[in-house]
Amino acid sequence: MSDYTIIGKRMPRVDSRAKVMGKAKFTADLKLPGMLVGKIKRSPYAHARILNIDTSKAEALPGVKAVVTGKDTEGVKWGVFAYTRDQQFIQIEKVRYIGDEVAGVAAVDKETALKALDLIEVTYEELPAVFDPMEAMASETDLIHEDFPNNINIHVNIDTGNVDENFAKAHYIREDTYVAPEESYFQAEPYAVVARFDHEDCLEVWMPNGGPHMKSKPLSNAFKIPLHKVKVRKIAIGGAFGGRSEICPVDYICALLAKKTKRPVRIQFTREENTIGTRQGHAMITTHKTGVDKKGRVLARETTCYMDGGAYSSTGPIATSVPFLSMEQAYRMESVRYNGYRIYTNKPIRGMIRTHGRGFACGLDTQLDMIADHLGIDPVEMRLRNSRQPGEYTSTKSYVDSCAMDETIHKAVEKSGFKKKWGKLPPYHGIGIGTNSVQTGFPMGIRGGSQSFIKFNEDGEATVMSGVVDNGQGNDNMLIQIAAEELGLLPEDIHLVSADTETTSSDPGSYSQVSTFVGGHAVKIAAQNCREKLFKVASKVLKVEPDKLAAKNRLIFIKDDPEKSIPIRKVVRISLLNFNSVNAEGGYWPRVDMKREWVKNPYGQMCEAFSFGTTIVEVKVDPDTGQVKVLEATAAQDVGYALNPLVLEGQFEGSIAMGGQGGMLTEYHEWKDGRCINPTMLDYKLPLACDMPPKINNIIVESVDPKGPYGAKEAGMSIAMSAAQGYSAAVSNAIGVYMDSFPLTPDKILAAIKKKNHK
Amino acid sequence: MEKIEITLNINDKPCEVRVFPNDTLLEVLRDELDLTGSKESCGEGVCGSCTVHMDEKPVRACLTLAMEATGTRIKTVEGLANGDDLSDLQQSFIDHGAVQCGFCTPGMLMSADALLNENPKPDEKTVRMALAGNICRCTGYAKIVEAVGHAGNPQDHCPDCKTKE
Amino acid sequence: MRLPRFDYLEPENLKGALDLLSTHRDDAKILAGGTDLLVRMKKGLLKPKVLISLKALNELSYINEKNGYIKIGARTPIADIVASGLIKEEAHALFQACEKIGAVTIQHYRGTIGGNILQDNRCHHYNQSEFHRSGHQPCHKDGGKICYAREEADRCNSTCQSDGATALMALDAKITLSKINGERTVDLADFYTTDGIMPFAMESHELLKEIIIPVQIAESAYQRLAYRSAIDYPIVCAGVLLKRSDTQKNEIDDARIVVGAMGRSPLFLAQASFSLKGKKLNDTNAFKKAADASMDNASTFAVHNVGSTLEYRCAMVSQMVFQALKEAAQAAVAAKG
Repeated sequence: MSDYTIIGKRMPRVDSRAKVMGKAKFTADLKLPGMLVGKIKRSPYAHARILNIDTSKAEALPGVKAVVTGKDTEGVKWGVFAYTRDQQFIQIEKVRYIGDEVAGVAAVDKETALKALDLIEVTYEELPAVFDPMEAMASETDLIHEDFPNNINIHVNIDTGNVDENFAKAHYIREDTYVAPEESYFQAEPYAVVARFDHEDCLEVWMPNGGPHMKSKPLSNAFKIPLHKVKVRKIAIGGAFGGRSEICPVDYICALLAKKTKRPVRIQFTREENTIGTRQGHAMITTHKTGVDKKGRVLARETTCYMDGGAYSSTGPIATSVPFLSMEQAYRMESVRYNGYRIYTNKPIRGMIRTHGRGFACGLDTQLDMIADHLGIDPVEMRLRNSRQPGEYTSTKSYVDSCAMDETIHKAVEKSGFKKKWGKLPPYHGIGIGTNSVQTGFPMGIRGGSQSFIKFNEDGEATVMSGVVDNGQGNDNMLIQIAAEELGLLPEDIHLVSADTETTSSDPGSYSQVSTFVGGHAVKIAAQNCREKLFKVASKVLKVEPDKLAAKNRLIFIKDDPEKSIPIRKVVRISLLNFNSVNAEGGYWPRVDMKREWVKNPYGQMCEAFSFGTTIVEVKVDPDTGQVKVLEATAAQDVGYALNPLVLEGQFEGSIAMGGQGGMLTEYHEWKDGRCINPTMLDYKLPLACDMPPKINNIIVESVDPKGPYGAKEAGMSIAMSAAQGYSAAVSNAIGVYMDSFPLTPDKILAAIKKKNHK
Repeated sequence: MEKIEITLNINDKPCEVRVFPNDTLLEVLRDELDLTGSKESCGEGVCGSCTVHMDEKPVRACLTLAMEATGTRIKTVEGLANGDDLSDLQQSFIDHGAVQCGFCTPGMLMSADALLNENPKPDEKTVRMALAGNICRCTGYAKIVEAVGHAGNPQDHCPDCKTKE
Repeated sequence: MRLPRFDYLEPENLKGALDLLSTHRDDAKILAGGTDLLVRMKKGLLKPKVLISLKALNELSYINEKNGYIKIGARTPIADIVASGLIKEEAHALFQACEKIGAVTIQHYRGTIGGNILQDNRCHHYNQSEFHRSGHQPCHKDGGKICYAREEADRCNSTCQSDGATALMALDAKITLSKINGERTVDLADFYTTDGIMPFAMESHELLKEIIIPVQIAESAYQRLAYRSAIDYPIVCAGVLLKRSDTQKNEIDDARIVVGAMGRSPLFLAQASFSLKGKKLNDTNAFKKAADASMDNASTFAVHNVGSTLEYRCAMVSQMVFQALKEAAQAAVAAKG
């Protein structure tokens, strides 16, 4: 057991009190003097040329303060990478999906703004639209973006080892194709933005975000104003799940309206806008070809994945790679060839999502189970024979330091009773296992690191500044726990200034599972540096060397003689009387391979640590209706070190809900000619309290990463993915059919049962 | 169309407010009375983020007209605590880690509060049914269900139940 | 989402409400619980000039039994029906159906039985925002000439997803419609037009006042399927009533099978129902046949417009009917004493 005071404890989150009182402010709760209501005019066509936009009637409507179109923009195109700059913030020439932004209005109230939208007359010439990625790729002429032949937005090619040779050596080879449609985030909070320009022409803006610094830079580019003039402010955020990482055109439009009207403007999305006008998860068609030796060890694998990327690039290069990366981290493969294609279609823009690549991952694990079946090996053994081990390199040459993948498998197997149940359950009652791995961070160049500042106040309390953002997962609490632990204070003594681009240094954001590992680490180092200064002063008073001191419960004391102590508050005052303020800085930059690039050079150190997770699920299927009842889910993850088990369990349970119960049973989008049929919470089926498995077993596995703060990596993400795999494996096991189309809705399950029984 | 002056009884206080007939109770709470604890997430009565009490019963504020709320007693999440003293339920949500992003929390609390007023010691199944009209995207509900079940009803086996002195 | 503008009227009693209705007619809509109406208004599917609230009409909120009939006021909250011992005993299918409406603790206090019966037909191409509908030709129900659910259909194929109506039709219920100078009572089965655009045979100045369920020596059951365990409309449902023979206690004297969420109205399946006449209460084979016949009949009405796949929904008609029949038969056997 550790001797930490605050780290590793079940600590209720510091932000909860304001939230249970209804006092926490989210973006839509903000009210600024003179604030206007903004609304967005969107394209009702999937693909059309804009012939004319007449805003005169809208502008003439009393109460309308501004109307903006593409003409009002600087024409800057947005893209996460230099080679993916394909999206204008307001379209000028053509629209590429139903929901594309064509104009914005600001008015005195919602009703007037909505009326103004109706009065904006846009003349379109409809163009042929394409909704199927394979059709889009086959087309030479109907291009969604002129400079992307065959509508191929991104092609990632990875080839390591001797794939062809190893296939030739393989004892058994299978090739199977798996499909999954789009899914969506459905963050509880619909997207919203508030923007204003202050008296010094600085843009001040609030919005849910996955990293404030990732918002400020594109805004500064778009407005052609210096970075320091864009102040993204901290605000409570109602979930992100990967979907709020980059700039949203509406951030820009809202700011543009504020600039034009010289008044604060608030734009609040409807639920439908949040679904179609932000990001969605990619639909994927994945073919895995796997060759194994007699023992089931993977010798060669060839994976080809076609991703429906929608109308613009978004995080395309990352999205095209991550499902592959998770696979190569989780499993050893002697050789592998990957071709990932992200294809433009006239559908909403796809980005990274918590369960990105569910069809890819579930397909891979289903195929492993099929191979195991053929070889007469059980699924657990099959995974253990291929699971990632510590001290190895991934196929693309990332060194894996800490890794307790096998321990997650063993512990989950034991807790769930897998061995006793496998092959022995009655008909239509099944159990399945899924394993996965997630990267702690992406290579992000100059934005890959985080820096924190800490200052002591004269009352002995400390203010911590950090660029880390809390999307709801508890990052604020994590930072406070770390600072309190290191400074020897109580959590209530720590005051956090975070996620504000004016006062905090750059931080990579929360969407690559990196907040603890990088941002938390920076706070830890800053706090240690600050503590060093305190110890220096205290050592003079206590008359021992600084290295003999420790801090806890607001006291600095002699380690070997804890009775001898001095309050930290007093140390601060002594320091101030000696002409020294107590403060410190600390930063952390993960040592990734700066030459690694998603498309051009997908080899080298990806990030410093990887998490590993196993989920085992037990289900019953009603053979008459195809309905699935989940009896129990067991989630085990190597988190490195659990900084706060209470918060971690919440991440695990949420991952089961989103990755498994929703992601594998009920959640998917339906379309009619590029029109999303189920953009609302009524029609998109998020799981409810009474849909969830009655029992979720959380198993925290700690490999204590040598580089992570306290050994911590990330928590929950490899459960979200492995939950999807565990759910699909369990259903397949229950019905005796290996499923290849996800999610596993009752109609598909019933059809599979019928087909099997007719054989 | 003219605004109409009505009086709403909110958290035991009379509030005079001028509304349009097409103003929902949620719009009036949030925009006119600055009670932004009640959230709009779906706007069509599905997600439960705007749940408030109307004469002790949970209702959707987004599908209730402000005009319809006259003559009733409305309670919002802001009315759960007694000043700075949290209710057992609120404290239980904090202690059990039932709050993540917090956007669904107010509605969740209002549904749970209505349940506990009728049934102070509900079993797990009853809690899940009572929360069936509130969607949470973060937690997977496990900690919320626990928090409601253990509110004012601490369980010895639970590491997160604090016995109140 | 913002509601369109309207005038809000709050009559003090039924007479006042009927007066207002006769004045405003097509311009007015009745507001009971608002759980269906206000959502449709927010989506711009209808823009009444006047809303007549039933808030003050406590006289329309009651459940009682008189002379062999259960009478339920149209404004009775779903919660009261679920809590009623009388309904649970004598109209079990209605109890089961109401339990499934919305979420137990929320919609049930606002939602009313009248509102549930009068909830408009649904279709996932029609029940969308104004923005969603703006980019293509309006469908039949939206004032146009296209059906997006069934190609080249010359009329609207919207689906009635009311749980309550399906159960009530199985229970052979009648409804009373009031207007300023009189009222009429009709079989619920005759209340439907088979027109998806305006599914109810009701005049604009009529108000649904009461639901009347005959108390019979019979057992009823209701089954439904949805994606989620709450806040979901059924994608298929079935209500059945089994009446025992007075002489042959083990025999079915009369049966009613009604399938919901498959057509423009709940579908009373006469042929399948009739096939059970004279059959034994434990004749599961007969139930299976009746269920399959129900599926064959109901399937001809359904289109792919309320989620899942059409094939699945059709297959599930048989399941829902079969399960409901089994349940009702078991109850009948148990009730035999």
